[in-house]
Amino acid sequence: MKNEYGREIPRPHPVPDEFALAMAYVPWQKFEKLYDDLDKAYQYGTIFPELNKPFTGRRCVS
Amino acid sequence: MNQKEQMLRDIGIVSFALVDLALYLDTHPNDCKAMEYFNHYNRIYHQLVKDFSQNYYPLMLTGAESGKEWRWGAAPLPWEGVCG
Repeated sequence: MKNEYGREIPRPHPVPDEFALAMAYVPWQKFEKLYDDLDKAYQYGTIFPELNKPFTGRRCVS
Repeated sequence: MNQKEQMLRDIGIVSFALVDLALYLDTHPNDCKAMEYFNHYNRIYHQLVKDFSQNYYPLMLTGAESGKEWRWGAAPLPWEGVCG
């Protein structure tokens, strides 16, 4: 589907029922809530709590 | 941190949030809630920049309404240690 500028509109792709081997998938981000405190968001480096994944020295926070 | 530095910091923080929202909106162009947030913070950003220009000096050439004196030229230059 194209917009009025003739550009393809990105849309969430249907999740394949099972994932093919050797392919990488990135889940589509859904708009949840933003950090209210922009000061804190600025220090975290994101306004999206679900993208706030500090490195803990061993593995990332999921 | 005085009022001027605080305002500069706030302008930086709001524009950071705008960039983050823009990154999301690039892939979700029809997300109304995200657009509402963008418009909200965008209004705040423009108000802050306008207030800063009136209280201190213009941050951008386009915000440099000058009366008698050419205010853009009078503004301190970034390498003159004003960025904190």
